[in-house]
Amino acid sequence: MIDLRSLWDIVAVLGLALAAAPFFGDYLARVYTNRPAFGDVVLAPIERGIYRLLGTSPRKSMPAREYMVALLLVNAGAWLFMFWYFFDQSTLPLNPTGAPNMSWDLAFHSASSFITNTDFTHFTNESQISAGAIMIAWQLALFISPATGLAVGAAMVRGFIRRDGTVGNFYVDVVRSLTRVLLPIAFVGALIMVMMGVPETFDWTVIAHPITGGTQVLYLGPVASYQSISLLGTNGGGWYSANMVSPLANPSAVSNLFGIFIMLLIPISSPFAFGRMVRRKGEEWPFVGTILIVLVVAIALFIVYQEATNPALASLTGLVQTNGYPVGSEVRFSLPEGATFQVVSVYANVGANNLMIGAVSPVAQLVLLFGMFTQSTPGGDGTGFGMLLLFAVLAIFVGGLMVGRTPEYLGKKIETSQVRWAALALLSHPASILIPFVVAVVGGQVPIDASTVGASSHNFTAVLYEFTSESANNGSALSTAAFNDATPFFNITGALVMLVGRYVPIFAMLKVGEIFARQRTLPAGPGTLRTASGTFTIYLTLFLIIVTTLLFLPVIAMGPLAQIL
Amino acid sequence: MSSPPSGAAASGSPAPRRAEPEVAGRVPSAHSWSTHLRATLVLLLLSILVTGLAYPVVVTEIAQVINPYGANGSLLYFPNGTVAGSALVAQNTDAPYLFWERPSLTDYNTTLGTDTPPGPSDPALVNETLSYMAQYGYYTVNASVPFWLVSASGSSVDPDLTPEAVLVQIPRVATNTNLTEANLTAFVNAHIVSPVLPFVGVAYVDVLELDLDLLPMIGR
Repeated sequence: MIDLRSLWDIVAVLGLALAAAPFFGDYLARVYTNRPAFGDVVLAPIERGIYRLLGTSPRKSMPAREYMVALLLVNAGAWLFMFWYFFDQSTLPLNPTGAPNMSWDLAFHSASSFITNTDFTHFTNESQISAGAIMIAWQLALFISPATGLAVGAAMVRGFIRRDGTVGNFYVDVVRSLTRVLLPIAFVGALIMVMMGVPETFDWTVIAHPITGGTQVLYLGPVASYQSISLLGTNGGGWYSANMVSPLANPSAVSNLFGIFIMLLIPISSPFAFGRMVRRKGEEWPFVGTILIVLVVAIALFIVYQEATNPALASLTGLVQTNGYPVGSEVRFSLPEGATFQVVSVYANVGANNLMIGAVSPVAQLVLLFGMFTQSTPGGDGTGFGMLLLFAVLAIFVGGLMVGRTPEYLGKKIETSQVRWAALALLSHPASILIPFVVAVVGGQVPIDASTVGASSHNFTAVLYEFTSESANNGSALSTAAFNDATPFFNITGALVMLVGRYVPIFAMLKVGEIFARQRTLPAGPGTLRTASGTFTIYLTLFLIIVTTLLFLPVIAMGPLAQIL
Repeated sequence: MSSPPSGAAASGSPAPRRAEPEVAGRVPSAHSWSTHLRATLVLLLLSILVTGLAYPVVVTEIAQVINPYGANGSLLYFPNGTVAGSALVAQNTDAPYLFWERPSLTDYNTTLGTDTPPGPSDPALVNETLSYMAQYGYYTVNASVPFWLVSASGSSVDPDLTPEAVLVQIPRVATNTNLTEANLTAFVNAHIVSPVLPFVGVAYVDVLELDLDLLPMIGR
């Protein structure tokens, strides 16, 4: 049985994030509506200077089409920069480990992975990517991709408060995301991680001389500054290939708790930012409620199934299975701490891991998969909340049809046009998982052998997990010894899946925001659904769970369920 | 450029409940293509300078002042000043007179990154666990062995062990050194790192630090 005392700290850290959320959400709302905010004295003049350099101004507001063009230009520019750096890294600055150039398909996969906020890697960090490629190229994407996500989330919400058919200025949104949110918090977060023992140095390698002889290479670098933005920006990349399992990146239980907090901060604050932006009381609670219900159930399930002893090892006399499940886990985290980090990381679409997902129980793997299916409980910075808003739009539309009223939300009518875009975003997710998945399995890209159901369903789950993680822009990986994803096939299909999984929903969110922004706000009538209510919270939660389960049931049955049964 | 027209909602009287949009037709773009290209290039250039260079350099400068030990990798030294390793990275300590680390899928070779152990229902897990039990000397002894001692860690360089998994090694270490089991038990107990707060983290022993402290006691 779990020692209940060991749950106190995760309750405390989740409570702390939730307590900070209304205040931080209010701050985010000020940032994205250009209202007076903390830091204006210093930052406002700097931002004005940057806008002048860029040739834009907060007064210039874009329609969705133009917003998307600006977004794609900035993302493509960063993508090209990364591709060039990875493809040429052996001759570019800062290559202390002598990493060779990436092949074009690996560079294609890596650049696409980082710019889409996925950070799924098909290489070993310690030998296949240079320190400069991480710090200069990859780290650019660690900032630009969450800034893009936050901008999209804000643009979509503006649909409810505007009537001029525009959703905002992408450049202004990105600049303010960087100056007001990502850079200052990542900076403070990095210093806190340094205090907790994470390396931060420009001495890249240290040669150690172990007691029993030989040598051991210790890789160091500006790890804390990298890891801080990686978690805050829901990116999830690791300086080390072991990511947040690595004792250097995540040295103690305390740094692990800090990681949980910083991953949750922006996603859990987004509903509050929404409530402040639309200036209506209580509208954030259905979203907060849905997120909390799904997240807490997921954490509880993960803990329970990780706590169970492994029956496959019961025959080994003398083996004492206590204190959690050690295979692929680390000693320094208690089981609830490790589980909570892992679930929060996957559910917030960070994708960093602090245990090896391939080694956990099938039920726990299924719990993680479910978070990537919804992408919105709470999901990544900005886009996760955008996804949840799309679920709400659909839920209200369906609910309106059931009671026979014209569906409207916050005084804006929901019509076929918004529903079509929302459905496209939702359906593109299973489509971009299942199509490459079928191609990979039928095309023999992964060893599936009908005679060994156990190992085969494990490989099956690994491929499913891979494409799900890529389509959800998550980045966590369930690797198995028999499944090698560093092949041209998985590099190219994976990159395409990530690009579709990122930009199709983003365009849908912008279009839905724009359609709302073209409508006038109607006063509430007698038939209007009251969305700031407990009933709607439960309805939204059930709607999200049922729709997600129906969309993905066939897939789940073949992989994880076969493993469980 | 369409400016927001003053709608009926703003005038105070209730707006008619109509569905037609406030804005009809195509809203023109706010920027020309050349402005877009310029904005993109300048934004990326500034971002690279700030996020790729200024940010890590400033954090490093401060880090080297506020926590130089941690910022430089928590290095541990031999008395003569050479680097023995990092308190945060396990290394191969499989000499009979030392306490052993958890098994590593990469043989503690940090250049290999890490690897994934077999899944819970994978038949390979039984064989792997059996071979670790044999390697750690518990296959024939039939003594009870904590799972933490004979299972691959996630990072492949987990430097810590649970106190039980260290204490269980004492008979072997005692046999191969001139120290008594009672002395070694006291020595290990003195090296148990307690949780910061009763409910944060777990009690553990950093095996590399333990072994480095053991060396002078056994005259090596």
